[in-house]
Amino acid sequence: MHTEELLLFAADTARLMLESGGETYRAEECAISIITSQGGAEAECFATATGLMLSFVSDDGKTHTVVRRIKKRIMNLEKVSRIDRMVRDLKTDQIGFEEAESELDRIERLPERSGKTRIAAGAFGAAFFALLFRADVREAFAAFFIGALVALVVRLSARLRMPDFIANLAGGALAAFCTLLLVQIGFLNRADVTIIGVIMLLVPGVAITNAIRDTIAGDFVAGLARGAEAFLAAAAISAGTGGAFALWQILQPLFGKGA
Amino acid sequence: MLAPLYAAIATSAFSILFGLGWIDASIASCGAALGWAVYEWFPALHAEAFSVFFAALAAGLFSEIASYFRRKPATVYMIASIIPLVPGGGMYYTMLSTLEGNTAQSVDTGIATLMTAFSIAIGLAVANVIGRIAFGNRYRPLRPKK
Repeated sequence: MHTEELLLFAADTARLMLESGGETYRAEECAISIITSQGGAEAECFATATGLMLSFVSDDGKTHTVVRRIKKRIMNLEKVSRIDRMVRDLKTDQIGFEEAESELDRIERLPERSGKTRIAAGAFGAAFFALLFRADVREAFAAFFIGALVALVVRLSARLRMPDFIANLAGGALAAFCTLLLVQIGFLNRADVTIIGVIMLLVPGVAITNAIRDTIAGDFVAGLARGAEAFLAAAAISAGTGGAFALWQILQPLFGKGA
Repeated sequence: MLAPLYAAIATSAFSILFGLGWIDASIASCGAALGWAVYEWFPALHAEAFSVFFAALAAGLFSEIASYFRRKPATVYMIASIIPLVPGGGMYYTMLSTLEGNTAQSVDTGIATLMTAFSIAIGLAVANVIGRIAFGNRYRPLRPKK
């Protein structure tokens, strides 16, 4: 048994699973089943949204432990399903250990979506969310362009390695400010539907739901951590839009008559 | 009447952001449309939490079936197909009322948001249990290679 490689491989598999948005229990199960399939005993894994610990006993009776921190979390469901496939294949001996290692390497280096795709997805997502909230054609049209702009800002702040908090703050402020501007020039009659449509690109709805799913599954610490992440994101977005509204109150007299 | 279609298109945009290929993105969008249709057309007992629960249950069961046939974990389809239902707007309004100093309003929307999130999570958990009973945590077997 190559214990060191096995330990690192199992820990990295669990780490990538958590980074890509897999459930906490699934990441733990992946690490444990990799180790037991290769003959390790007493495998235990403890994962939260921000890190994981893994330990097992090898056949010479020594205990091996490793800690992995999770710093970035980018939802990538393709990675989740390919890791799941790889672990199942390894468990049923359809692939060997070396093959599994190189497959993990390939999954890790799967390209993210390009900037253009992200901006287009942001535009369509915002427009159709606005329509779902009973927007008219003009409001959806506005949401389309503001959504693209917000997606661009999020992309830029990711490039500059800004924390998510800043991206959400800027995105929220931009969404509110652009919409208020369109109301001022008379293109739109009301601001709220367009703003909420665009904001759907940023809001942590999936995060809060996953937090509760983790809690129900018994992973209380992971659930609390994800819940905190969701609340912080919501606070950042509202601070952004609230700030934009406040700024607008100051700027509006400069445009002459009120909207 | 068009609302489920809008939900499907919004979901497919998100599915692509979440890295799904076009087949999986289309499947997840169908799940989202199904969930939204249940949510809109069956206002169960006129309580938001119940409607959302049944919508999440429908989307979750759809995801379990898709997971079995596509041989991928159900969570892949679940996360994508609950996107129209998740209370992102609620989180935002809660925090906005807090910032505006409107505490009563923020407690109100905050509790409603948590209830919605709980209903979705419970709906998915029930779907998961049903999926496990039906498929036993296995996928459709591969055809033997010739």
